[in-house]
Amino acid sequence: MPTPLDSLPDYRKLAREVKARFERIRQRPVILSVRNLEKSFGAEMHTALDHVSLEIHRREFICVIGPSGCGKSTLIRIIAGLDQATSGEVLLDGKAVTGPGPDRGMVFQGYTLFPWRTVKANVMFGLEMRGKDKSTAEIEARQWLDMVGLGKFENSYPHELSGGMKQRVAIARALANEPRILIMDEPFAALDAQTRCQMQNYLLQIWRKVDVTILFITHDLEEAAYLSDRILVMGANPGRVVEFIDNPVPRPRNVAQFVSPEFLALKLRLEELIHPPMEIEEERLPMVKLTNAGDDVE
Amino acid sequence: MAHRDWLGLKMELPRARRLQLTLLSFLLPLLIWSAISYIPWLWHPSIRVTATGDVDYFTEEMELPRADFESEAAKMRAQGLAVPEGYRVNPLYLPAPHQVARAFYTGFTTEPRLPGEPWLHESLGHSIRTIFWGFFISSIFGLPLGILCGTYRFFSRLQEPFIEFFRYLPAPAFGALAVAVLGIDDGPKIAIIFIGTFFQQVLVISNTVRKVDPALIEASQTLGAKGWNLVRRVIIPASITDVYNDMRILLGWAWTYLIVAEVVGTMSGITYSINQQARYRNFDNVYAEIMMIGIIGFSSDLFLAWIGRLIFPWKRTARTASPSGASKPTLAAAAVRA
Repeated sequence: MPTPLDSLPDYRKLAREVKARFERIRQRPVILSVRNLEKSFGAEMHTALDHVSLEIHRREFICVIGPSGCGKSTLIRIIAGLDQATSGEVLLDGKAVTGPGPDRGMVFQGYTLFPWRTVKANVMFGLEMRGKDKSTAEIEARQWLDMVGLGKFENSYPHELSGGMKQRVAIARALANEPRILIMDEPFAALDAQTRCQMQNYLLQIWRKVDVTILFITHDLEEAAYLSDRILVMGANPGRVVEFIDNPVPRPRNVAQFVSPEFLALKLRLEELIHPPMEIEEERLPMVKLTNAGDDVE
Repeated sequence: MAHRDWLGLKMELPRARRLQLTLLSFLLPLLIWSAISYIPWLWHPSIRVTATGDVDYFTEEMELPRADFESEAAKMRAQGLAVPEGYRVNPLYLPAPHQVARAFYTGFTTEPRLPGEPWLHESLGHSIRTIFWGFFISSIFGLPLGILCGTYRFFSRLQEPFIEFFRYLPAPAFGALAVAVLGIDDGPKIAIIFIGTFFQQVLVISNTVRKVDPALIEASQTLGAKGWNLVRRVIIPASITDVYNDMRILLGWAWTYLIVAEVVGTMSGITYSINQQARYRNFDNVYAEIMMIGIIGFSSDLFLAWIGRLIFPWKRTARTASPSGASKPTLAAAAVRA
């Protein structure tokens, strides 16, 4: 059955300028490469990741999407060094990752600011851990806070901030270490729609200003389409890479693009990949008719 | 609507009402006590004799059960002799509130009966010193060990099973042993308080430290924290407010060990004082001194809660630790956290 969506352009037939953009991106040095990553859990060796390989170039913005249980969280936890892979390796700038470290900043979904530290002291944490002296750390922390627009709140405690502000501090805290890659695990999922939209724009602005590669997990397809250069679509049982999509929506991005043909075509494709048509068909509920539905109920 | 305001399920009451209820929680027991003391027909099971009449064994001011008095009076009436007179009183061991209130003052101004016996303030000071040293020495070892056990599984497995077992050995059982080792003065008393506190302390604190949000630890690891820095800059500050509250509860437990500790060896401190007053049958003083223990314990806890709010500015929500008796530490800890 043809739908209006079928008249959308095929996102895979990229326009010439889009193709040129991705050729430029692929010429950049590879910053992170994941090779044949495997991860199994428990006694039955449930496979969370099955031979996952990918390469990410410098200053790329990568979004990872997939149904629950596809191992996207496991993947980034291994990249961050918080979990060990069963086999395979993660290379950052050609060097194997063995544990967590400041070269891979991380922003979590839950607010992980240190409640006993002020906003400024939170941002200073990583700098102190790297042995910077206090006054240098303070100056740098202020710069990062100004960049996320929270300079005025440097002496507040996290519990005095809103959710969106906390995540901005968390981003500043991770970026203060000048990581090679910023890993974000559904960072805006807990925020309300309006704040989330705001945060997406903040993040794009920050990303343009800072030399950082971003690996961003989300379950929001629009968020993925809006933010990313490329989208890694993962599938479940076992967790694997289904497709690595070049995002054809031109940059710089703005909210008006949410209804552009490229955007809608991409979103449609993502939906197909994440929810195969079979699963989406609703099960008919075995309802007994309890009332005579008249004209008021369709 | 009115009853809803007072009895809303799980609804926080306005501040004024909370204060009223707090006041009432103290006033209600006092009211019951006053009623029993001052309403002559409520209880008052004894008679104090004011005129002996012709009963040969009665003396003035003597107290005896009402039934005995009535039967004697009936006997006298039947024989046509002088009938004894008296009024209803409560037994000696239940003084009226005003008597106890007066004892709060006179307790401090009355000279000790025996030469060399301590004044009340000296007895109280002695008890507070005993508690302080017992708790202090326990904390010197218990606090670091608890943090270590809460942080590293290695120490937890190495220490906690034994401590868990030792916790069930009642501290007073070590009294005789403590006297044999440490003499009869303050040593064994401090040791009893130490034994009563230390093992609970290690378990409670390690449990609290273990509850530090793992996400905070992971976040700090991705920021470059590791090893000792991770413990000092993340795990300790992340658990310090809860550990502080644990310490308040543990101090309350230490107080409950005071009396058993002070009867070990030569009786000392407030226990000695209470014992002497009971022997002189000054029950108003006995009540006053028991209440003083409660007041000192409770007010020091309130004081520590206030200090806690000052030194932990990021946690403005205060939780009042209950100075209740010892139960399983995990239960008590859970109750405080609830």
